Amino acid sequence: MVQLTLPKGSAPKKGKTWPKPQGATNLRQFKIYRYSPEEGGNPRWDVYWVDMDKAGTMILDVLFYIKNTIDPTLAFRRSCREGVCGSCAMNIAGQNTIACTKGFDELPGGVISIAPLPHQPVVKDLIPDLTNFYAQHAYVQPYLKTVTPEPEKEWKQSEEDREELNGLYECILCASCTTSCPSYWWNGDKYLGPAALLQAYRWLIDSRDEATGERLDDLEDPFKLYRCHTIMNCAQVCPKGLNPAKAIAKIKHMMVERVS
Amino acid sequence: MASNNFITPAKAARGLGSAKSGTETHIRQRVSAIALIFLVPWFVFSIINAMGGDLASAQAWAAKPWNAILLILTAGAAFYHMRIGMQVVVEDYIAKTGTKSALLILNSFVCIALFVTVALSVLKLWIGAGA
Repeated sequence: MVQLTLPKGSAPKKGKTWPKPQGATNLRQFKIYRYSPEEGGNPRWDVYWVDMDKAGTMILDVLFYIKNTIDPTLAFRRSCREGVCGSCAMNIAGQNTIACTKGFDELPGGVISIAPLPHQPVVKDLIPDLTNFYAQHAYVQPYLKTVTPEPEKEWKQSEEDREELNGLYECILCASCTTSCPSYWWNGDKYLGPAALLQAYRWLIDSRDEATGERLDDLEDPFKLYRCHTIMNCAQVCPKGLNPAKAIAKIKHMMVERVS
Repeated sequence: MASNNFITPAKAARGLGSAKSGTETHIRQRVSAIALIFLVPWFVFSIINAMGGDLASAQAWAAKPWNAILLILTAGAAFYHMRIGMQVVVEDYIAKTGTKSALLILNSFVCIALFVTVALSVLKLWIGAGA
């Protein structure tokens, strides 16, 4: 549902400004969203000064620098630190992306804000609750479905058919796209969102999958699929350079193809 | 998160299931848009042309068969397209079932009423001029 103002208790307030590291010459100011359910109260923006000469090269390094040298209570998810796992997705300087591949050189000037992915419940600090996102991914049944008995060795696919999956299979499920989509903000309970639909198309177009019709049936819905209004935020933010909006357009083409 | 919510994530994501509809509306919206690509420039061009004349000359223009036909087609395509567009806006922004249904019905009534009004007005001029 559309909420132009944040619900009660969700609006971030001014937080603590942490002391500058001593002896640093290359300082940069970061404004980080903090929320702890145990402490209660509204979320707050804490201000940190980071010594960019010591912090590394990526935003994830900044977060580690803060956690290791300034404030050990800062909570964030991370795992692979190389753009493969999708765990460290967050909103950096107003744009969803993954912290581990966002370099200092890509940052705009001024204070850099870091917040959890927008419009999701917050577990703590930079950690969103992505339960619904994962459940919607499961809804599209992202695995091979066949009726033909399984071949002894493997399901074969021509090189051309395999190429159809390029630009689709690379998704790391970081949720940057889905949580950047206004349509998902307003109707995320019903609209499947760009990430789930990209995966849906990845299986719709797979030459080995035999459940294309059933898959289309499960998607054909004014909300599950047709809430996409080609806003294109998804394609703009995808840290892997994928284009979910294009995949969704192709699903719509398939829908039209089967009725006309 | 909420302790009193025992709905499983899968139940929530599946919701009421797929409506197995929406494609027809998607096609209709695009087809009416294609019609408007041709009709709107003609309509705008005609209005600009008519601005120099008086009421009687405008009525005489609208009473010509081709103009009358194109006017009714323009109104039909535009109000049809508008109805779908407004429906999308309501569905996007209004979550409350009752309010949403009421607005969707109102949307249909208004669009149909507008079309009938325009169509009958043009027909009156056309038939009136021919009599």
